[in-house]
Amino acid sequence: MSGFNDRVGTPLASAKQSSQFPVRWRILDAAERIAALIWPRSLYPYTGYLLLVPALLLVFVLVIGLVYIGGYSLHELDLSNYRLKESFSLTNYYTAFTSATYRTVLLRSIYASLLVTVITIFLAFPYAYLMVRARRAMTRKFLLISLFLPFFIGQIVRAYGWLIILGKEGLLNNIIGFFGFSPLKLIYNYPAVILGLVQYMLPFGVLLLAPAITAISRDVELASESLGAHWCRTFIHIVLPLAKPGLVGSSVVIFTLTLTDFAMPEILGGGTTDFIANSIYDGFFQLSNSGLGAALSMILVTLGTAFVVVIFSIAGTGTLGFSKGAE
Amino acid sequence: MNDKQRNNLNLTRRDFLATSAILAGGVMLAPGLAWAAQKKPKEIIVRAWGGSWGEALKAGVADGFSKATGIKVRLDFTEDNEIKPKIWAAVDQGRVPPIHVNWDTTTNATISALRGVTVDLSDLSNLKGLLPLAKPVGLEGYPLVNTYAYVYVCAYRTEAFPEGPPKSWNVLLDPKFKGRVALYDDGIGFNPISVIVGGGSFADIPDNMEPGYEFYRKLKANKPLLGEDADFTTWFQKGEIDLACTISVNARAAKQSGIDVAWTVPKEGCKVDTDGLWVPKGLPANEEYWAKEFINFALTRDAQQKWCSMLGLPPVFPGIDPPADLVGDVSYPTKPEDFEKLIRVPSKILVENQPKWFAKFNEIFQG
Repeated sequence: MSGFNDRVGTPLASAKQSSQFPVRWRILDAAERIAALIWPRSLYPYTGYLLLVPALLLVFVLVIGLVYIGGYSLHELDLSNYRLKESFSLTNYYTAFTSATYRTVLLRSIYASLLVTVITIFLAFPYAYLMVRARRAMTRKFLLISLFLPFFIGQIVRAYGWLIILGKEGLLNNIIGFFGFSPLKLIYNYPAVILGLVQYMLPFGVLLLAPAITAISRDVELASESLGAHWCRTFIHIVLPLAKPGLVGSSVVIFTLTLTDFAMPEILGGGTTDFIANSIYDGFFQLSNSGLGAALSMILVTLGTAFVVVIFSIAGTGTLGFSKGAE
Repeated sequence: MNDKQRNNLNLTRRDFLATSAILAGGVMLAPGLAWAAQKKPKEIIVRAWGGSWGEALKAGVADGFSKATGIKVRLDFTEDNEIKPKIWAAVDQGRVPPIHVNWDTTTNATISALRGVTVDLSDLSNLKGLLPLAKPVGLEGYPLVNTYAYVYVCAYRTEAFPEGPPKSWNVLLDPKFKGRVALYDDGIGFNPISVIVGGGSFADIPDNMEPGYEFYRKLKANKPLLGEDADFTTWFQKGEIDLACTISVNARAAKQSGIDVAWTVPKEGCKVDTDGLWVPKGLPANEEYWAKEFINFALTRDAQQKWCSMLGLPPVFPGIDPPADLVGDVSYPTKPEDFEKLIRVPSKILVENQPKWFAKFNEIFQG
């Protein structure tokens, strides 16, 4: 460590002495000087904000894209050259709101989102509760692995898995046939889409509920039971209210993911149960009408945002972050 | 002009012959010289449909082109509707487009031509002598070149029709086949037929499509499946459908792979259409040249014979015999009486009306 105490002196002596320092030290000194030039010590209190910059840039790019889409939505398609007209108009929004097709598709998407959210939460809650409260580590691990396994299998593959299981010559119909019954039409309809979506959303539901349930002290439940409350009353009056942040967070995520889903209706719907994302795809790609596709996109974004704002303002942001409940 | 200058312009007979010979030689050698002059890219990318379609293009055109030029051909199986906006955006933004050649439906290619993103192919040497079908209708020059015709047939599972092929498209309404009939998810291939089977006539298209819409409303009750080319093969294979309006190529490919499928042209007729090839604007000059040469190669007799025979479709090169299994099949039209059973809607009408038809089709089946 020689040299550290001799740093003060004439520049010549200092240079001579510093040249005696190990190379590694000198590199680090140089790096420190460069870092001080780029990010001076006076800015240190803002270092945390600096780390936010990449994420903010990503969001900014997303917003720019949205602004462009908003702009496209205000131009009508000119069928003579398949370009958007220069003039601004609300024709695309008029088409979207007055067309029976888009009204049906929009309502179908909203209804499916609500249905999937309710069913998924109903199934995810006991799973998450058991996963958190199980006494045996093996049970917890088993439940955790079972939950994460589907994450390694993409949505498309899972949808095709359902086709194999529920198809006319699929596993389930083979079993039905074995008992002498006629095959059932189990795919290419609305229930099949809902089933596929529930299976897809279940891990999201469980993972967002688990932290909220973990935060509920076991002692509170024991206290309730020791005061004579049946497990059912304990669940309704203790567990459920305390798990509200998790319920809010998972509901928002499941609802918005379902509302914007494309693959499940496309693969399991048989072409007649489109969601709004499928109509957006058709607008952009099948009809080559980017104006209409953009208008439908804006409606979808507005709808999803409105839902989230309403839920957050009623119930807080839950496990997603900054609600009073989380404080 | 002085005498010296005038003398300089006077050509002797010998000079004239020598100059003519050089010019003639130049003209004859020009294509060869151009081949030599244009730097060859390592590969060219051709957008194609997958399955039997892509295999036919590879074996019939791409392999031969690579052998002749040494340029590798990569097939890009991006969905035709998805590549379209990518090319449009690239051309509009002055970027190099993602592909060199687009194998496209004539309707989609016409839309791209109207948008002004296609390279003119009028100077291709192999255009001469092709059937009139090769020339795009209603467009100046050759912003695309049609390469063959195809028919949207009535494909059916023979097991479901023990008494022979269906005679009318009305079979789609038979409750016996509820949930077991299929159409393309945008109505393509069936829209004009729906008008005729719905009680209208060819003259009603495009001004009065109501008979067709009425037919669709009835068909909706029979819960049809709506899909793409690949879906039809899967659905037939998995026993999900008994009946579909699909391109004969898909039915033939399914049959060749052992699936119990046959096809017919019902009494109301079938829609006949064309596919084509085009080159997007914005490629480097040498790549554009070789992309055009790829199309030129696809129009040679050998390439047309091999490619179209594998597809089972009538090429635009005249005088090519149909594959043995399609001789006398109306879905491989060769004679005027074959074409009388088929319905061809001009591309211009399709381009102008398809969005409206699609909107109505969606309204009925999604509603």
